[in-house]
Amino acid sequence: MAMSFFDQFASSSCMGVPLIAIAIALPWVMYPTSTSRWINNRLITIQGWFINRFTNQLMLPLSMGGHKWALLLASLMVFLITINMIGLLPYTFTPTTQLSLNMGFAVPLWLATVIIGMRNQPTVALGHLLPEGTPIPLIPVLIIIETISLFIRPLALGVRLTANLTAGHLLIQLIATAVFVLLPMMPTVAIITAAILFLLTLLEVAVAMIQAYVFVLLLSLYLQENV
Amino acid sequence: MPHLNPAPWFAILLFSWLVFLTIIPTKVMSHTSPNEPITLDSEKHKTEPWNWPWQ
Repeated sequence: MAMSFFDQFASSSCMGVPLIAIAIALPWVMYPTSTSRWINNRLITIQGWFINRFTNQLMLPLSMGGHKWALLLASLMVFLITINMIGLLPYTFTPTTQLSLNMGFAVPLWLATVIIGMRNQPTVALGHLLPEGTPIPLIPVLIIIETISLFIRPLALGVRLTANLTAGHLLIQLIATAVFVLLPMMPTVAIITAAILFLLTLLEVAVAMIQAYVFVLLLSLYLQENV
Repeated sequence: MPHLNPAPWFAILLFSWLVFLTIIPTKVMSHTSPNEPITLDSEKHKTEPWNWPWQ
């Protein structure tokens, strides 16, 4: 069986346990449950600071009804950013490269925002399908376009995360292979490629955090429209 | 590409949602602050003068 560069995305098993299960279940040992003490240790303090600050920022544009989603969105952010960042370490598996996982989060959450909008304020929710100030002849076309864009949202949400992380991991593997192959032949070129690999890894760290944030931010925006 | 293979998708979906609904919110909730924010009392307490019982 020929090795291909896509084999890193097939969830292998370690002693019968699928790696993706370990990758999803294990990172939470790094988040100690906060105690009721006045002052906690540094790790809990910094995690608490991040979670509270992030939730505060995220809830700013939302109305009071949207604040019910605070825990869900904060949990989603913690989930995604942890999984993305841990996946950048060598020999780890990144569950968010799996389309099934990302669509599994994007579709239900997007659908929840749409259903909330349709139940509580159907006129406003449907009114989003027609931007203000549209010239009258364009109205039918624009409604069709806006409906299509509405239904493409969960697809875009899931595929965006999948594609960004998959592409990043693939690039890292490609360039690392190039460095490895070039090392005996042309060491200088190998060293330059290694520098590129280093910069790419820094980029991937940024992408990991940004993509998690974008996912949660877009969901909050969809909620803002509908709540 | 193996990650477009839908075969274990349901197991992945179930497991990730399980973790997302049970483990993480408990850990995130534990970071909440202990006191409820209260509105400031607009009424200022009148200071009652009293005589120090100096010796």
